[in-house]
Amino acid sequence: MTPALAHYLDVASRFHAADASAPAWLRRVRSEGLAHLERQGLPTNRDEAWKYTRLAPLAEGMFLPPGEARAAGRSAAGAEGTFIPAGAGRSATGAEGTFIPAEAGRGAGRLATPAEGTFIPVGDARGTGALSAVVERLGLPGPRLVFVDGRLAPELSSVAGLPRGLTLKPLRDALREDGDLLESVLGQRALAGDSALTALNAALLEDGALLRLAPGTVSEVPVQLLFLTRGDSPVLASPRILVLAGESSEATLVETYAGVGAGATFTNAVTEVTLEDNASLHHYKLQAESDTAVHVSGLHVRQGRDSRFASHAFSFGGALSRNEVHSAFAGEGGDATLNGLYVGRGTQHLDNRTALDHAVPRCTSRELYKGVLDDQSRGTFHGLIRVRQDAQRTDSRQQNRNLLLSESAQADARPQLEILADDVKCAHGAAVGRLDAVALFYLRSRGIPRAEAERLLTYAFAREVVDAVPAGPVRDSVEGLLALKLPGAARREVRA
Amino acid sequence: MALLTVRNLHARVAGKDILKGIDLEVRPGEVHAIMGPNGSGKSTLASVLAGRDGYEVTQGEVLFDGKPLLGLSPEERATSGVFLAFQYPVEIPGVGNLHFLRTALNAQRRVRGLEELDAMDFLQLAKEKSKLVQLDAAFMNRSVNEGFSGGEKKRNEIFQMAVLEPRLAILDETDSGLDIDALRTVAGGVNALRSPERGMVLITHYQRLLDYIVPDKVHVMAAGRIIRSGGRELALELEEKGYSWLGLQDGKTAAPKGGEARR
Repeated sequence: MTPALAHYLDVASRFHAADASAPAWLRRVRSEGLAHLERQGLPTNRDEAWKYTRLAPLAEGMFLPPGEARAAGRSAAGAEGTFIPAGAGRSATGAEGTFIPAEAGRGAGRLATPAEGTFIPVGDARGTGALSAVVERLGLPGPRLVFVDGRLAPELSSVAGLPRGLTLKPLRDALREDGDLLESVLGQRALAGDSALTALNAALLEDGALLRLAPGTVSEVPVQLLFLTRGDSPVLASPRILVLAGESSEATLVETYAGVGAGATFTNAVTEVTLEDNASLHHYKLQAESDTAVHVSGLHVRQGRDSRFASHAFSFGGALSRNEVHSAFAGEGGDATLNGLYVGRGTQHLDNRTALDHAVPRCTSRELYKGVLDDQSRGTFHGLIRVRQDAQRTDSRQQNRNLLLSESAQADARPQLEILADDVKCAHGAAVGRLDAVALFYLRSRGIPRAEAERLLTYAFAREVVDAVPAGPVRDSVEGLLALKLPGAARREVRA
Repeated sequence: MALLTVRNLHARVAGKDILKGIDLEVRPGEVHAIMGPNGSGKSTLASVLAGRDGYEVTQGEVLFDGKPLLGLSPEERATSGVFLAFQYPVEIPGVGNLHFLRTALNAQRRVRGLEELDAMDFLQLAKEKSKLVQLDAAFMNRSVNEGFSGGEKKRNEIFQMAVLEPRLAILDETDSGLDIDALRTVAGGVNALRSPERGMVLITHYQRLLDYIVPDKVHVMAAGRIIRSGGRELALELEEKGYSWLGLQDGKTAAPKGGEARR
């Protein structure tokens, strides 16, 4: 057993023992998670699903769940930098973390360097006032739950204005109050037996959110879950989000993850979504953790007949980021859109894995993932589309395109189609390229300096994914975060 | 003083000599036409003047406004007042036409120490200038040249020129591939932009353009050299007798053009 696995098993056992008063079913979920983690061990490159991504930072970080992390706050330990992870498969480069600071000779058109490893520039983010400022900045109009270092922060949350038929509850409350419901749905979409990270999340389950839509409920305003990590403790946050969308209901859910201080943290989020027949969910994940964070998330969806699911995953932060989206069609006529944009700099490692299970006939899926990679960053995309034997009339398209901004940036594109039905339309494409030299010359020949021209083209490449987000506060938020990463790039153009 | 002085310019592309000693002098207010068969080096000359990558100047010099031009980056040349209308305008998906042009104009204004135009002021200017080439607002809001017809792309080049107000405009086969109506529109735009301070170099394969834009000087280029220069009558003579009159073969079916980057 590796020291890292021993650490996390130990941590999970202590957590389990400390909450002996939890309901029996919850204790069972946690202990099964623990058992699955022990059986599987942490993933290594030998695991097919983790071929491109090493979880070494977890071994070096030795993160702790919220309760213990708070007690072992970094300032108390006086060891700032102790828990800096080493990026994906690279050795640590010093106390300030794994990102590359601004260096001489760096192309001016490149991505911005992070200020002190923090993605969201907020000054001293540790105080409550600063947290409010971050919430102000990243918060969307509408109901929201805010979590700080893995636990609900009620004073920053607001659930006013919820439409009738929509329930939004902190999971810590739901675990106590809605035991029967949760026992029947928790862990049904995301199976602890399938992934060690899901198992770890289950073993440390304590908070998150329950979003429930009664049949026919249509929520116009987005519901936001905002997860903040302060970086002053080596916290392992394990949010679990459950979405139960009744027949013909419609909602928009935004998960925003942000680091507000430099320092290593580990977020291991699991979201489980059940869409009943004809339900619709727009799901947005805005990941803007600090550049020293480890972020892993798994979004698991089951789609009923005629349901619509759209996922837009923006991965901007993290020393190591893993974004997983799995959707399974359980009824005919379903529609899934999986979009993603990952923007890396320094030594960031941004990993995306999607899996679409066309298990039944006449479902449609559209997938577009784009990566912009600078410095020594690395982006990976592994997209599986499985079309089962009965899934006739499947219509599926997948695209992955990567833009490399430096010689040492790297992209791995791995589309994977498994088609067992014969009457299907499936297309996929993958590309890795650089800025178009001819377009660059055209812009420069009009007087636009090279750096600015490069930014224009870079933003133009990225905006296809941004523009897939309907105009409104969510898109504004995405653009705001993207502008931090591509400073000076065009926001909106002038309209005549 | 001459606006543009080209002296004994030699240039090569991918190891192949294309320009073999060009001499040219353009004064403010003059319009020069450079004609010649395909493969004669006309477009290479335009590319070298605009600073495109991949063109190696092996001899000679170019002065713009009395100062050396060849050491400048493309954006520095643009800012000092050189404009190239592309033979094949580039499509740039995702970059809005107006945003692009405002960025360009403001980049130039910044260097010249002028105040940048805000979106509203720029819009006014763009609307006014777009009338010159009858480019309607719908085009201005689309991505740069994306999905434009050939004629729309060429009109967009002239529109950009109208907004940027260069001191020297090099029009690289702006007339090629245009129907007569589009040619009239483009030529009308160019004529409106003639001024005593501005020089123009029209690079063209067809004499037809010169029915609409009357040049002050005409040069015939062949095999990397200017082999004959004269007034407008030279173009007419060329039209009448064809390139073979000068002992030239029109290289349309001959060897591929040297190094022209075509998307």
